[in-house]
Amino acid sequence: MSLSRRRFIRNVSVTGGAFVIGFQLAGCSGKPPELGQPGDFEPDAFLRINPDGQVTVQIAKAEMGQGIVTGMVTLVAEELELDPQQIHYEMAPVHSAFADPEMRLQITGGSASIRIYYDILRQVGASARETLVAAAMAQTGLPRASLIAENGMVHAVDGSVAIAYAELVPVARTLPLAADVVLKEAADFRLIGRYEQRVDALCKSDGSARFGMDVAPENCLTAVLLRCPWFDGEVVAFEATRARAMAGVVAVFATAYGVAVVAEGYWQASQAAAKVEVEFTPPASGLRDSKAIAEAMTAALDGDDFASVRNDQSGAEAGAGQRVQGRYHVPFLAHAPMEPLNATCRIGNDGCEIWVGSQAPDIARDAASRELGIPREQVVVHNQFLGGGFGRRAAADNVAEVAAIARQLQRPVKLVWSREDDIRHDWYRPAMAGQLQAEVHGDGSISHWQHRIVGPSINQQVLPEFAKSMLPQWVPGAARKLIGDVAAGKDFASVEGADELPYRFDGVSVQYHNLPVPVPLGYWRSVGHSHTAFAVESFIDELAHAAGADPVVFRRRHLPADSRQRRVLDAVAEAANWGSPAPGRFQGVAVHESFHSVVAEVVELSLGDNGTPRIEHVYCAIECGQVINPDIVRDQMEGGIVFALSAALYGEITVEKGAVQQSNYHDYPMLRHNEMPSMTVVIIDSNAAPSGVGEPGTPPAAPALGNALFAATGVRQRRLPFKLG
Amino acid sequence: MIEFHLNGRGRSLDTDPATPLLWVIRDTLGLTGTKFGCGMGVCGACTVHLDGEAIRSCVTPLSAAAGKAVTTIEGLGGDHPLQRAWVAHNVPQCGYCQSGQIMAAAALLASNPAPDTDEIRQSMAGNLCRCGTYNKIQRAIHSAADSIAHWQPDAPEPQS
Repeated sequence: MSLSRRRFIRNVSVTGGAFVIGFQLAGCSGKPPELGQPGDFEPDAFLRINPDGQVTVQIAKAEMGQGIVTGMVTLVAEELELDPQQIHYEMAPVHSAFADPEMRLQITGGSASIRIYYDILRQVGASARETLVAAAMAQTGLPRASLIAENGMVHAVDGSVAIAYAELVPVARTLPLAADVVLKEAADFRLIGRYEQRVDALCKSDGSARFGMDVAPENCLTAVLLRCPWFDGEVVAFEATRARAMAGVVAVFATAYGVAVVAEGYWQASQAAAKVEVEFTPPASGLRDSKAIAEAMTAALDGDDFASVRNDQSGAEAGAGQRVQGRYHVPFLAHAPMEPLNATCRIGNDGCEIWVGSQAPDIARDAASRELGIPREQVVVHNQFLGGGFGRRAAADNVAEVAAIARQLQRPVKLVWSREDDIRHDWYRPAMAGQLQAEVHGDGSISHWQHRIVGPSINQQVLPEFAKSMLPQWVPGAARKLIGDVAAGKDFASVEGADELPYRFDGVSVQYHNLPVPVPLGYWRSVGHSHTAFAVESFIDELAHAAGADPVVFRRRHLPADSRQRRVLDAVAEAANWGSPAPGRFQGVAVHESFHSVVAEVVELSLGDNGTPRIEHVYCAIECGQVINPDIVRDQMEGGIVFALSAALYGEITVEKGAVQQSNYHDYPMLRHNEMPSMTVVIIDSNAAPSGVGEPGTPPAAPALGNALFAATGVRQRRLPFKLG
Repeated sequence: MIEFHLNGRGRSLDTDPATPLLWVIRDTLGLTGTKFGCGMGVCGACTVHLDGEAIRSCVTPLSAAAGKAVTTIEGLGGDHPLQRAWVAHNVPQCGYCQSGQIMAAAALLASNPAPDTDEIRQSMAGNLCRCGTYNKIQRAIHSAADSIAHWQPDAPEPQS
């Protein structure tokens, strides 16, 4: 063990265990939540063992398919010497002990969960194990060196004693939590990097997994909400005589969010809603059409009003090389998770309960608290499995809505969004435009790289909302708005992936023009990387073409020899047999770092008889540090690639008079099974600290596909979604 | 009054016959394994069997089930070869679409016990998965195909 690792553990341990980190960084004091029963061994907020030996782990992150339940349980199980399938898990309640130490919110995002909890949850497992061993020492009189923990038991090395954890609980719970525990070396890992099951696979194969949509407290009603089709319109009047007379309808009333139609079941509510006529305040003027927004972006790109994000001067004389330039455009995108948004609310005498699948249950809690005018402490959030998140479920608009509806009812109510509601009332990945230019010199060197980015700032819209949960309640609203404005100045969500260009070029300039739009914006899987990687890695291909170089050779030449990008690029090139595809196949490549991981992808396609491209195979290589579950890493790469290919081939949200024009999967399509390419995923061995996997598979796929289309057709496509055939 | 069998058990309902089967199954009968995804029959999350055929329950009225047998994911029992294969291959990610995927796959294997990859790709094209689990679904269907012949598709569920 290295000195630094030892020091880290000691530093953590003197404060009583890693779980304390959450408290300290969240700026909160207080005791851990009380989740167990009297008699349980409950060493910290994350873990409890009851006298029957049942081990329960609190899952402080949202399970939206990325496998975080399995990952977190595995980390605890590794040190606690259990099979992950033996461990029970619960979605953690809202509590400062479960707040993300970096983001200060109980939020799941940024592909950060394993990176942040890798040490903490192993420490949780190890501290509990050592405390159980200490209980066995007290019980047997044997020294530590004579005892070993294995498979839920503490054994004597000589076989003379074997005590189940269950039997040690009564003693362990009276002992001080073991400090100064030493975490396993990688060579001793039994599960980390080896375990390839998912602990939630069975309940998601037999229909028993409970999503927010499946919650039904006793006597629960169902509501649908008639929202204004255009952004920020409000209800002026509505006519609901016919709807109120329909079977099963309980109430129809206006809220700040639209007209609620409440019935005994969803079908009755939605049928009645179709009979309600609502008048809304008319659309305001401004940038409310996709066409106008696109024109404003072009005008901004034509102008000179940019904030500098990065400006490394070039040593070469401007104009000495061949100038290459390209403009790249991406559209607004919806998240479209398979489970439409929903939330359930029960208001009681001393507060309310919310059932929801949320990426940020504290933001959800605070939304209900504000809506009902009750203290945060009086809102209990029961988080559920998420039927897809992709960033959409970090927002709590559904929770504010259901609270507004529930306060007018005497019974619990579940608000169900239709798919049309979901597509038309999302927080969209912003449309963005980028202009890239550079000079290619005779010797193949590149100078005067300039990347100008135009588009709206997600952070300016969203952070003031998030800040309500990050800051104490007494901080005035103006301070929260300030956070958004400051964030917009150097907006990571707009420039990430462009500002840290890995290539060694002579002079790199990155600039940003914030173009506010009234379209609601949100974080969409891989956020800024979803558009910057497309622009940068497509343009790199343009430079390679201008230099007359092979795209992989060109990239290798300009990447530092010891860079992760070069290592990962080499791995994918080898897997794909780059440069020698089968006859009739065409390849395109891209490499991109996001969320501390580097991913390279090769898309291989063929052209059908009528020239229509067909994606045949995608090769992917990832370096993400120490892997916990290789199968889940492969899944996340495949899923991230499919997510990106759906967007690259079909994804486009357009607005007209402030209203989204798409409505369901027929006009906002995604990749279907018959279009699915086969895939190869290579995971590069690493014992470095774990980094992200949920999002990093997404950014390289669109440019790799575009580059393959160029290889096949000779046409450079700079606008998403691609036009095929 | 409409009578039908749900997972082997007789049901008699006084529900509006125009109500889609999906909402009868979920809201009236409380079986939540069948999912609402699109409401227009284009995503497949609501797939159930009607007399052994895979149908979209979100666009199938209750009246269409009169006198027939409806099987949902709960009716497969949890130990169906496809469900075992789904677990062995870790198919689910978010899991929301998987009930519909499994029901579509079960109907496929009932009519074609040994589909090739292209037949799987075509016949499963109506079931969307936003997480992108399609390749694993293919592998799980292939591995389940071997044992499917020994399983009874409409075995009654235990009476509760």
